[in-house]
Amino acid sequence: MNNIVVQIILIALAPFIGGLIYGIERKVKARMQRRIGPPILQPFYDFLKLMDKRKMIVHSTHAFLGIIHFISLWFALAILITGGDFILVIFLHLLSTAIIILAGFSTRSIFSHLGANRTAISILAYEPVLVIIAISAFMLTGSFDISALYAGEVPPLFKMPLAFVALLLILPVKLKKSPFDVGEAHQEVVGGVELEYSGIFYEAIYTAKWLDYVFCYLLVFLFGGSNIWLGLTLVVLTFIYINALDNSTARVSYKQMLRFCLWVALPLAFANLLLTMFNIL
Amino acid sequence: MKLNKYRKKSPWILHYNAGGCNGCDIEILACLGPKYDIERFGMINSGNPKQADIMLVTGPVTKRSRERLVDIYSQMPEPKVVVACGSCTCSGGVFRGMYNCEGGVDQYIPVDVYVPGCGCRPEQIIAGVVEALAKLEQKTKDIEKSIRLDRSPQINNGQVDRREIAVGIAPGKVFG
Ligand code: SF4
Repeated sequence: MNNIVVQIILIALAPFIGGLIYGIERKVKARMQRRIGPPILQPFYDFLKLMDKRKMIVHSTHAFLGIIHFISLWFALAILITGGDFILVIFLHLLSTAIIILAGFSTRSIFSHLGANRTAISILAYEPVLVIIAISAFMLTGSFDISALYAGEVPPLFKMPLAFVALLLILPVKLKKSPFDVGEAHQEVVGGVELEYSGIFYEAIYTAKWLDYVFCYLLVFLFGGSNIWLGLTLVVLTFIYINALDNSTARVSYKQMLRFCLWVALPLAFANLLLTMFNIL
Repeated sequence: MKLNKYRKKSPWILHYNAGGCNGCDIEILACLGPKYDIERFGMINSGNPKQADIMLVTGPVTKRSRERLVDIYSQMPEPKVVVACGSCTCSGGVFRGMYNCEGGVDQYIPVDVYVPGCGCRPEQIIAGVVEALAKLEQKTKDIEKSIRLDRSPQINNGQVDRREIAVGIAPGKVFG
């Protein structure tokens, strides 16, 4: 991804690509449950419909924070695509999540509070792992730039395989997929932080979810390094893995989620850090 | 740009039980299951009034649930439609005349489509929702008018009836 034109097109089309991924995912999920499922363009129909609803806002700050959440996520994605600083990408992603948590706490709805609380806990679960993966990448390439990962001859997957496993373990938390979907949990907290949004402001949250897909699958794509086909294969395999996991497991409580991420995923990432530090692989 | 036609393609459902026996709720949930799979029309059971388009109500409105019913209805942003699922939702059904029931959802909120049947079948619910979608396409974003009563409610046969005396309520379509 060195071509600047390709990068700009990718950044501009990111919500569209994310929407397509979401549409395909709904279809795949339905087929896994032996249903027919919605058409692939369904997310865009939802988008157009939501544009046409009457706007109801709780208070203006709440609506504004929702839009800022979307924009800061797009910035994080743009830096990830242009191959900028890994730490900055993680920080911007954290910022966007922090903003939506603020929005969740700014209303008086108890479900919104619960959802915000759980989102904060899920940050605690995945963020340390991501930071350690970034540090492993630094140990590998000697720079925090993401473009350095694309430059090496050997794909990062073979240099830091445990980091990839750790990433696979935390992706369901990031994407809010079962078994780690406590933050969204439609049956318990009715969507959590997105609860109080409606109409065009919900659209910002809804589209931010698509951007999150692109963000997560790009992180997976990174492990392919300069080999684009390896990257794409990894993305497809991860997509199938996430959906199979989402369909076959039940939700665990947030304590179990935290325990799993901090006791299994974090040590894996740490072991990977040691491996790359001492150049064992 | 006219966006009306996209309303039909992604109707999100809100399901509320106003004191029914749970029979019709099971049928509504059956619609979402693999056999009838209404998600293929883009419907999601959103469970959140602020993001829903169609309200599926069951139950005869017990006195405890009527405030919540109106509350939830008014939280839905327009355009919205209401589908009354089940006989007791349309008219009181087996609960008609009981001391704790109001005998029908349309005493409190405007209903667009009535789906009869004590335990209405999933096919009927889907047909009713399709009928409701045609109505949804016509609706505007204006706030739905509340109903004014110009006389005090009548009691006949032990059942309070507000339907006849309500002004400005559009007659709904019976589907069956
Ligand atoms: S219509 Fe019959 S089955 Fe349905 S909720 Fe009412 S009493 Fe129960």
